[in-house]
Amino acid sequence: MLKSLSYLLAIAVLLPAPTTAATAEDFYKGKTVRIVVGFSAGGGFDTYARAIARHMAKHIPGQPAIVVENMTGAGSLIAANHVYKVAKPDGLTIGHFIGGLFLGQVLGQAGVEFDARKFEFIGAPITDHVVCAMTKASGITSVEKWMAAKTPVKMGGIAPGTSTTDNATRILTAALGLPIQLVTGYKGTADVRLAAESGEVSGGCWGWDSVKTTWRKAIETGDAIVVLQANRKTHPELPQIPQAIKLAKSEEGRKIIEVGIHADSDIVRTYTLPPGTPKERVQLLRKAFDDTIKDAEFLADAKKSNLSVEPVPVDEVERDIGALFKLDPGLITKLKDILYN
Amino acid sequence: MDMLHALISGFLQCFNLSTFNLMMIGIAIGFVVGILPGLGGPTAMALMLPFVFKMSAVEAFAFLLGMTAVTATTGDITSVLFGVPGEPTTASTIVDGHAMARNGETGRALGAVLMSSLVGAIFAGVALGAAIPIIRPLVLSFGSPEFFMLSLLGISFVSALSGEDVLKGLVAGGIGLMLATIGLDPISGIQRYTFGQLFLWDGIGLVPITIGFYAIPETIELAVLGTSISKKEVGEFGGVMEGVKDTFRHFWLVMRCSALGTLTAIIPGMGAATTQWLAYAHAVQSSPNKERFGKGDVRGVLGPGAANNSTLGGSLITTIAFGVPASVIMAILLGAFIIQGIVPGPDMLLPPPKGHLDLTFSFVWVIIISNIITVAICFLFLKPLAKVTQVRGGIIIPIILVLIYLGAFAEKNAFEDMVIVIFFGGLGWVMEKLEWPRPPVLLGLVLGPLAENRLFLSTDNYGLAWMHRPGVMTIFALTLFGIFYPMIKERRQTKKKAAAQSEGKTTVEEPRDKVKRFGPAAWFTTATLAILAVALWQSRNFGFRAGLFPWAIGIPTLVLAIGQLGRDLYGRKKKKYSDIPEIPETEVAPEDVKRRTISVLLWTLGFFLAIWFLGFSYAVPLTMLLYLKIAANESWLMTASVTFFTWLFYWSLFEKILNVPFPEGLLISLINGG
Repeated sequence: MLKSLSYLLAIAVLLPAPTTAATAEDFYKGKTVRIVVGFSAGGGFDTYARAIARHMAKHIPGQPAIVVENMTGAGSLIAANHVYKVAKPDGLTIGHFIGGLFLGQVLGQAGVEFDARKFEFIGAPITDHVVCAMTKASGITSVEKWMAAKTPVKMGGIAPGTSTTDNATRILTAALGLPIQLVTGYKGTADVRLAAESGEVSGGCWGWDSVKTTWRKAIETGDAIVVLQANRKTHPELPQIPQAIKLAKSEEGRKIIEVGIHADSDIVRTYTLPPGTPKERVQLLRKAFDDTIKDAEFLADAKKSNLSVEPVPVDEVERDIGALFKLDPGLITKLKDILYN
Repeated sequence: MDMLHALISGFLQCFNLSTFNLMMIGIAIGFVVGILPGLGGPTAMALMLPFVFKMSAVEAFAFLLGMTAVTATTGDITSVLFGVPGEPTTASTIVDGHAMARNGETGRALGAVLMSSLVGAIFAGVALGAAIPIIRPLVLSFGSPEFFMLSLLGISFVSALSGEDVLKGLVAGGIGLMLATIGLDPISGIQRYTFGQLFLWDGIGLVPITIGFYAIPETIELAVLGTSISKKEVGEFGGVMEGVKDTFRHFWLVMRCSALGTLTAIIPGMGAATTQWLAYAHAVQSSPNKERFGKGDVRGVLGPGAANNSTLGGSLITTIAFGVPASVIMAILLGAFIIQGIVPGPDMLLPPPKGHLDLTFSFVWVIIISNIITVAICFLFLKPLAKVTQVRGGIIIPIILVLIYLGAFAEKNAFEDMVIVIFFGGLGWVMEKLEWPRPPVLLGLVLGPLAENRLFLSTDNYGLAWMHRPGVMTIFALTLFGIFYPMIKERRQTKKKAAAQSEGKTTVEEPRDKVKRFGPAAWFTTATLAILAVALWQSRNFGFRAGLFPWAIGIPTLVLAIGQLGRDLYGRKKKKYSDIPEIPETEVAPEDVKRRTISVLLWTLGFFLAIWFLGFSYAVPLTMLLYLKIAANESWLMTASVTFFTWLFYWSLFEKILNVPFPEGLLISLINGG
């Protein structure tokens, strides 16, 4: 009784918020910050964003309300374009869309209406670790069985240009010569999971941290099996799973994996602000983000919900994105061919 | 035995004191959120989030579910009373519910909608509980092709929603589907019909279209007739019990619509915005004597009333059993699940200690209990609520206008949505005058994205082979049956009736009127044709991925629209014989109709301009004051007090409590800036 009364009281006390806005600190008081997530609720992007949203407010002076808004479509390109062009650069909108779109801009992906170099970045909570997970029912329980499959193995995808699932799957098809039929158009990995469980596809390739959180039960019971990983480092939780780059057929294949998957993995889960956001608010949000990632309560929550945290600093994000704009033209042509045709 | 134990344990958990109190707070918030149009989703969530995460699992779910479970119930009330949808999920209640209010049957409509909501909610709870053993195999037996066929089946319901004119209904449905393609296409991100407008990138929202479609024509009519909402003087506000009795008189219909809501909501992407229309269509299709539908038939209230509540059960099934949430609130629930270390999935369906079946059952109970409480409270307030429909039109109109613009803006905090409201308000008004059905447009709009997505997935996966799947063929057969069976039945009945009344007042063919041939109806159809043609012409550059759906929909719609134009030009008007006497409209002289129409249109536009130039904070009191004094000719005391209370309501709720980021007026920012 007391507890609920205290909630009621808290609601009553917190609601009437003064609306004067002067300094950056006062600015956030009584405001609502939106995190625009480009994928459907219940997937990995969404789960991280909601965990961060829950704890970030207390690290922003003025303690604004933070809400997560799912803006799905075109593999989060709609959200990326929205953050770039529609959202006001007032420090009240944070974008969370997939980092593969930055490579998409370099490759001239259709529909990209942003310039990656103009976004303000605030960091990423985790380096993505691409794995391919299959259902036991599909019979593809190892990479050898996959190689030997007589008919193309159906893999779930979201949209062309999406780092995971689509880019990773297409690159592995090209570099390893795996028999794959990519079925694209699912709204997010939650829908891919459902399609895999119903047998419509065999599995999909996306981040291990997302797989192990949202598909936890199936992984534990062995109904879903990780058969392949692609990252510079072998994941400590997946010591036995083969590394894609070692199975690549040629030097070119290794290079494509390096550029398209490995280098991409740092920037996949970047949080961004619209270009032109006032500098002091960018700094404030960067600091708040860093503090949140280190927050003991956040880490406890993350642990409880099986989310790994291994932040990527802003300068690393900016460096990786800068490197994309210096890619060799020959490689760009090759990647274009693999990713969009 | 374990199951029974979990059932009881789930029940007891709801009555833990702090859980129960939180549920009550949730209900209170949901009550208000449901009643206020446009308010729901993001705005309410922004408020609730910080509190939810401090609660325990059962508390959080009781709070959120209590809140969610009642919005569809109280949203129905706004729809019935004002003709403004309280929630996008309660728009279908307007069609017959508000018509009943106009006929002086407010009490009966409210009684029916509340009782059917309660039945729907209980059904949802029971279905959720009963479905537990079969949930997973049931959902997993469906793939993308079956999902596509189901959305097609849903779209085929437009034929039932079209009233007497199936051709118009099909064209309207096609227009709805085409409207759904506006925005960035979901597969390749190509812009479709955005005209370089950024706000169109995310498509046009259901809320502003629904508000415009229904609330604006209602307001115009109210102003033209110059009456209160209820056209008839009603001495007794009774009829409430009559509405309750109606629920049981048509109990089988209420049950079927409840089942329809729960079952279709299991499909990811189908929410109450869709199921309400399916239920409405089903009520029309399955009922004998359809003449009263759209004019205030209680069956048209019972169907959607039950379905928009029972949908929650279906949405929860996908959320709990698969971790695929169906709505924003389900997503918040899912976030709460994960943070508690509970992974939605098979575990939720196993009794403790292995799983969390007790928690799942507590959801069932929260849905049932919170609706019982809400409906009980609503019945207490029914009399004052029903009295609203007797308030003078002059006072109620500006209040409805405030609700229209606030509702349109506050859903996404987008200024442009108010322009959408005005545009679709005009369109809805013209459609109403020319007897074009509006529900098929909305059904097409909500089902379009789902159909397009699943059609693409099916084709990408199986080529054309998906059409041979047994599930697909079964649903296709059902669709055909659904379309043709009522037609055949209707024809037989018409013949019988015609035979029975062969002499006397049968079909009267009006002589062709050569002068009026190219009248407003033909102009409207021509404009529709032109817009469709331009849309198709534009889509030639979309490419296969983005173009498939616009082509597949646009071409047949264009052909049908040409057919309609032919009928407008050369068709003979049939005067239908009818057993039921028309409800006498209040007599208004034609020149008064014209003057009053122009006046209310100008006020509606003027209000929008005031918001644009002065911002909400000044526009709301100013427009209220001017309207009440000039247009309605109220006394100063009345004018001042109504203005003050409306402003107080606006200011305290939207400015203070909800912190809605209203844009500054153009003039105000000029003054402040310069």
